[in-house]
Amino acid sequence: MSLKTSRRSVLGKIGATLVGLMAAPVARTAKAAVQKVLVTTGAAKGYDPTKHKWVMAIDANRCIGCGLCAEACKKENHVPEGPYFRTWIERYVITRPAPGSGAPRGETLVDCPEGGMHGFPPPSVPKDQIQHSFFVPKLCNLCHRSPCTQVCPVGATFDAPDGAVLIDPKYCIGCGFCIQACPYGCRFLNPITKTAEKCTLCYHRITRGLKPACVEVCPTQARVFGDLKNPAPDDPIKQFYQNNLVQALKPHLGTEPRLFYAGIDKEVR
Amino acid sequence: MRRLFNMPPQVLRLFLLAVGIVAVYSIARYILTPPSFRQYGWYRGEALTELQERDRVFAGKSACEECHSDEVQKLAKHEHKTLACEGCHGPGQAHCNDPKKENIDKSSFAACLRCHEANPSRPKWHKQIVVKEHYTGSKCTECHVPHSPTEVP
Repeated sequence: MSLKTSRRSVLGKIGATLVGLMAAPVARTAKAAVQKVLVTTGAAKGYDPTKHKWVMAIDANRCIGCGLCAEACKKENHVPEGPYFRTWIERYVITRPAPGSGAPRGETLVDCPEGGMHGFPPPSVPKDQIQHSFFVPKLCNLCHRSPCTQVCPVGATFDAPDGAVLIDPKYCIGCGFCIQACPYGCRFLNPITKTAEKCTLCYHRITRGLKPACVEVCPTQARVFGDLKNPAPDDPIKQFYQNNLVQALKPHLGTEPRLFYAGIDKEVR
Repeated sequence: MRRLFNMPPQVLRLFLLAVGIVAVYSIARYILTPPSFRQYGWYRGEALTELQERDRVFAGKSACEECHSDEVQKLAKHEHKTLACEGCHGPGQAHCNDPKKENIDKSSFAACLRCHEANPSRPKWHKQIVVKEHYTGSKCTECHVPHSPTEVP
């Protein structure tokens, strides 16, 4: 074993260091060149997602089941024909209990013909046997602890800083983990693009100061939408909180939804 | 260093192969990760911008008001004040870009019934009719003005 430091070895080491130092800018240039080809850059940002916190609330007492929201959502977001919905309406029919059964309430029947897009036919149960019936519009529950984003293997779905739970269609590989993980059934696999899809809160609308399409067309203001970080003077969300007893769907799952409901029964899942 | 090269050649080859794989992976990862990947979290920050850039189909009431302020003001005075123009007249961004009679829905009987047809699931406060019993054969607009429901034509 020789420990002698020769001139050659020293020069070699200096040369290697120089090459290493020069490699860094080369790598950076190469990275920029490759990304120019493979990655498209977005337009200039006029919207800062960290300065908003979107929230939605639904008053089931006001929903008349007209289906305008479900239809508007399909049109606005070009959702494919068929049983694919980013928002839909469910009808709950709770029948009277059988006489002498001792039960406080009868059966719970839920139906959702075509997502409620074209309204609802009269219920299958005769009117005098209905104890209580109401409509529940459904959409992404905007979970604070969203199970769907935790399971994505490629970082294609995420909780945006503004509270929207979004999907990056360029990164989604269509594995369907998130569809199974969502406890509210709010995701589906788009049969055309083969990527997962869900309510984006009409991200292209809310970032331009408009309301989501479903909120825009709702004739009874059963759906209200607001920004918790920039509340308007007559903020509908504030009024919703003042006027209603507020609840969320499936609170026992600990998902902490940011979609709030008023006027729904315990039967609603 | 010398010790490394004194390794049995088959081990040395495996070692170099492993180093090569790690190096190729690191370089590929460095080059291929989009610049916005960790902007907000473990996802592409640019996806937010891309989602914002989509075109809208519904223009919104404020866009309708730019030209049809008289109708919007009339609507605001009566019970139908909470209705969106595009609820009955259909999506209006195309009409907004190129105002023509053909690219906006005139609205019809179906639009009235969509909300006002009687259904036991509908809340009691909402005004409903049983179509078969409510002046069959006549149009809704013969007796009601959609933009101001309390008026009589």
